[in-house]
Amino acid sequence: MRKSEKKLKANSSGQLLIIAALAIAVLISATTIYVYELGEETNSPDTKSIGDFILALKQSIRNTMISSLANASKGGEKAVLAANLDKLSQVVRSVHQFGICQLDYTVLNDSEYNSGVWLSWNASGFGVSSAYANFTLKVNGMGTNLTVGYSLNTTTTVTISGYYTQLADNEKMVNLTCRVYGDGENALAKNISLSYENLGSWIPIDSSNNLSIVDYGNGTYTISFTVRVPSDRVQVSADVYDARGIFVRANTTCYNS
Amino acid sequence: MNKQNRGQIRIIEAFLAVLVIFSSFAVSSNLTITQNVRKSGDLASVGLQALMTLDSDGSLGRFIDYRNWTAVRDSLDTVLPVSVCFNLTVYNDQMRQINEVNISNGALGGQEVASVEYTCASQSAMFRCYMIYLQLAVVE
Repeated sequence: MRKSEKKLKANSSGQLLIIAALAIAVLISATTIYVYELGEETNSPDTKSIGDFILALKQSIRNTMISSLANASKGGEKAVLAANLDKLSQVVRSVHQFGICQLDYTVLNDSEYNSGVWLSWNASGFGVSSAYANFTLKVNGMGTNLTVGYSLNTTTTVTISGYYTQLADNEKMVNLTCRVYGDGENALAKNISLSYENLGSWIPIDSSNNLSIVDYGNGTYTISFTVRVPSDRVQVSADVYDARGIFVRANTTCYNS
Repeated sequence: MNKQNRGQIRIIEAFLAVLVIFSSFAVSSNLTITQNVRKSGDLASVGLQALMTLDSDGSLGRFIDYRNWTAVRDSLDTVLPVSVCFNLTVYNDQMRQINEVNISNGALGGQEVASVEYTCASQSAMFRCYMIYLQLAVVE
C-alpha cells in the first residue's frame, strides 16, 4: 500500500511542478499588471497634456492682453486689444495637437471699460491702466471635445501720496510714497518720471531738483525733491512704466506737513 | 514506464515549468514597453512646461522679437532636463519659418521623438505672434 502511494507521488511530482510554475507565472503577471494599472491611473498623461495645453494657451492670451494694454496706455488705439486677439485666434486655429482649436472672445464695454480697455489717470492719488476680456476656447478632436470659458483681467495700478516741508523763501521739500501693483500684487516699476505744476505749466523734475528715489524692491518707492513754487500746495504727476511696459499716470496734491 | 523514460519526462516537465515562468516575464516586459511609449506623452508635457516657464515673464517672446536664437537655445537648454535633446522651429503668424539658424542642442536621430506645438505672443507694445514647434528626445 505504502509502496503504491510512494509510486503515485513520484509519478505526479512533475505535474505538481508545472502547476506550481503556473501559479508563480500568474502571480508575476498579476503583480506586473497591477503596477502598470496603478502607474497609468496616477499619471493619466492625456488629461495632463490637454490641461497643460490649455494653460499654455492662457499664457499666450495673457501676453496678448499685456501687449495690447502696453500699446493702448502709450497712446495707441483702444481697438488694438480686439485686433491683437483676432491675430492670436488666427494663429490658435493652426494648432492641431489635440484637434481643431477655436478661440472666441468678447472685450468688455461698460461705464469704465471701452473696447476692453480702461485708462483712469485723472483721479487724485491713483492711476489705473486695465484690460478685460471674456474667452471661450473650444477643442474638438478624436476623443477630445472640450469647451473652456473664462475671463482675464490685466491691470497696473499706481498709488501716490505725499507732503512738503517749507524751506527758505518759496523753496519746498516734497516727500512722496509711490506704490505699484500689477494684477493686484506688488510689482516693480521699470521707470518713474515726475513733474510738478508751476503757474499753469508742468515742469519735469530732474537732478537739479535734488531728486532722490529709494526703491524698496517690493513695488514701494519713496521719492524726495525740492521745488520753487509760490502757491501753498504742490501738484505732482508721476508717469510710471511697470516691468511689463504698461504705462500709468498718477497725480497728487501735496500740502505743508 | 521504465526508469529511463521517466527521467526524460521529468526533464520535459521541468522544461515546461521554466517555459511557463519565462513566458510570464515576456508578457510583463511587453507591458513595460507599452508604458515607455506612453512616456513620450510625458516628454511632450516636459517640453510644454519648459516653454511656458520661459514665456511666463515674456522672455521667450522678447528673444524671438530680437531674433536672439542663441538666447532661446541657451535658456531652453537650462530649463530642460540634461538628458533631453531638442530641436526648435519658429514660425510667424503667416506660418513662415523665421529662425534662419538651427535651434538645437544635439541630433534627435534614432530616438523616439515627442512633438510640442506652442503659441507664443510677445508682451511688447508692438504685438507679434509666433508658432513654435519643439521636438524632444531622451538621450540614452
